[in-house]
Amino acid sequence: MIGWDRVRRELRGSAIALVMVAATTVVTYVLTQSLEVRRGSVIYLLPVLLAGWHLGLIPALIAAVAGVLWSGYFFFSPYYSFYLARPNEIINLLLFMVVAVVTSHLANSMKQQTEIARKREKETSDLYAFSRRLAAASSARQIYLAIEEHLANLVQRNVILFGAGGGPKPEQAGLSERLRSAIADVQQGRTLSTTVDDGAGDVWLVRRVSEKTADFGVIAIDLGSVPPQALAEIRQRVDGVLADAAATLEHLDVAHALNEAKMRSEAELLREALIGSVSHELRTPLASILGAATVLSKSPALANDERLSSLAGVVRDESERLNNDIQNLLDATRISSAQIRPRQEWIEPQDIVNSALERRRRRIAGHNITLNMDSNLPLIYVDAILVEQAFVQIVDNAAKYSPPGSSIEVAAKRNGHAVVLSVTDQGVGLTADEHAQLGKRFFRGARHAATTSGSGLGLWIAKAFVGANGGTIEAESAGADRGTTMAIHLPYALPSSQPEVGPDE
Amino acid sequence: MSDANPVVLVVDDEVQIRRFLRAGLELDGFTVQDAETGNDALHWATLKPPDLVILDLGLPDMDGGEVLERLRAWSSVPLIVLSVRSNEAEKVRLLENGADDYVVKPFGMAELLARAHAALRRRVQASSGEPVVKAGPLSIDLAARLVTINGERVTLTPKEYKLLQILAQHAGNVVTHQFLLKEVWGSPHLHDTHYLRIFVRKLRQKIEADPTQPRILLTELGVGYRLVVPESANQAAVAN
Repeated sequence: MIGWDRVRRELRGSAIALVMVAATTVVTYVLTQSLEVRRGSVIYLLPVLLAGWHLGLIPALIAAVAGVLWSGYFFFSPYYSFYLARPNEIINLLLFMVVAVVTSHLANSMKQQTEIARKREKETSDLYAFSRRLAAASSARQIYLAIEEHLANLVQRNVILFGAGGGPKPEQAGLSERLRSAIADVQQGRTLSTTVDDGAGDVWLVRRVSEKTADFGVIAIDLGSVPPQALAEIRQRVDGVLADAAATLEHLDVAHALNEAKMRSEAELLREALIGSVSHELRTPLASILGAATVLSKSPALANDERLSSLAGVVRDESERLNNDIQNLLDATRISSAQIRPRQEWIEPQDIVNSALERRRRRIAGHNITLNMDSNLPLIYVDAILVEQAFVQIVDNAAKYSPPGSSIEVAAKRNGHAVVLSVTDQGVGLTADEHAQLGKRFFRGARHAATTSGSGLGLWIAKAFVGANGGTIEAESAGADRGTTMAIHLPYALPSSQPEVGPDE
Repeated sequence: MSDANPVVLVVDDEVQIRRFLRAGLELDGFTVQDAETGNDALHWATLKPPDLVILDLGLPDMDGGEVLERLRAWSSVPLIVLSVRSNEAEKVRLLENGADDYVVKPFGMAELLARAHAALRRRVQASSGEPVVKAGPLSIDLAARLVTINGERVTLTPKEYKLLQILAQHAGNVVTHQFLLKEVWGSPHLHDTHYLRIFVRKLRQKIEADPTQPRILLTELGVGYRLVVPESANQAAVAN
């Protein structure tokens, strides 16, 4: 089926070809007259090449035939006749026609490639502009706008986004029933992508923006009346565009999440700074309260009055307890901001136990303390301050969770390659559930939460401090109300690497 | 008698702390001079040389450590530092720079007084030339290099004796690891804390009734050792 356009174009081309041949003939005539040229048929290739290049196959063939006839007229006998008799002329005719075919074919494919290249260039620059918009987009809205515009530019028709971008609802977009149900199918995840005829002769491509998640919405693209074979190519391009866009949307989501995390960690820092400063602010008056209470309890006015001096004792004990709680808060802050740096040195294990008991002398005064320490324990290489604090904690717990007057056994023993510092009480013991949860941050046994004050931080801190020294805290209990043994296990170096000193002169 | 009262210079910017320190110290027979700032403290220390200084580290105009340094340039007055917990390195640094002892805030008055008396007595002993230091049943005659427990002679190796001698010279006050290591083993062994641990263990076996529960030679974790003398022990017992 050749359209009239084509016929007219070919006719016009053929006419131009004939004009070129005529012009060539004039030149040839002049040449033959003035220069006695007798072998110039090759000159007629010129119009054939030009026609083939610029005008197409048919004008080129016409130029070839006309050229051969005219060259026969001028250069071959019988001269000045169009009669083709010699084999040379037949060969010329064939040669010219081949040149016409080849040239026009070459020119044609060249033009096609140029056209393709130009189209690609435009697509590339469109895509480039699109990806720049994506890169610059700081909100999902901007990305959706870019998608809509870019796809609309690509298909030169209507593009509608539904969902995440806050676009219209399918019901409101004035779409046909079939299109709406296709959109609903994709939105509800029954299919990722589908094409549908809207009933008015237009094919729509409906698909999810992201293949991974429905969160980024659904896009409907009016492809017009595309032939089925072109559909695959368009779908591929749309896929490409949407893959980029979805990736950007995902990044934006990640960026959003990162932003939130940053805000959270800043809140955490603020919280810790607050705890630090509040602790300091609380401690300063505490130092005055505690100091003043100890002065009062010694003053002659109170010393002789049992009731009053015991009140001074209450002030002192409670402010010490408060001070302890504040210390725990500070320690918890140090732990959660990973600021524990053990300063390890060789230390006598008993020194840690004795120092802890000295610090808790008043707290445990109401209990019957028995000490059971091996006299020749190996030295251990730990941060004594941290381990002491952990031990103070388990001493505190023993005193707190066992009745006054009951006995508490404090022991320092060697056990395999560990030194074990333990505290055994006759107190409330541990249920299996409590045992499992013991030492978790803020864990408080339900049995005691109402009757015994505490923050649920102490043992968690103790575990962190001992852990920082390569040790563990282990709890043992025969069950509720059957006492508890808490033990700090600290590894020690093998005898061969125990420190030695030079000879004593 | 007021002339005989030792004068103590209390340097702290917290008015409430100064108030209870004044009360506690006056009850104990001290005459108290307050100072709020470092400059104030240095001013009073020159104008009216005290017998004892109690120095808080957090001062508004300069660090307590600087006050100590400037004071030590010309004065050997006994000095107790008021410190905060969990900063052993700072305590050690201040002790090395000439502080006689420290107490950790918050503290009881008895603890501070025990440290203060120990520091005061040391100066008195140093100036009077009294050669015998007593710590419970333990008696150390620094002139005769003689150590006895309940009158019975204890045989010590030279290094054990040197260790005990240094502690006795600072009886009642803490002596840092570094100081002991330098004095007994020499500068190259400043960080060989385990030398100390091992020799202290040997020493305790000779001088303590129960070496696992020492009553005379106490460990100050992260800082050093302290030889407990009767007065400070008694003071602590009374207060507690």
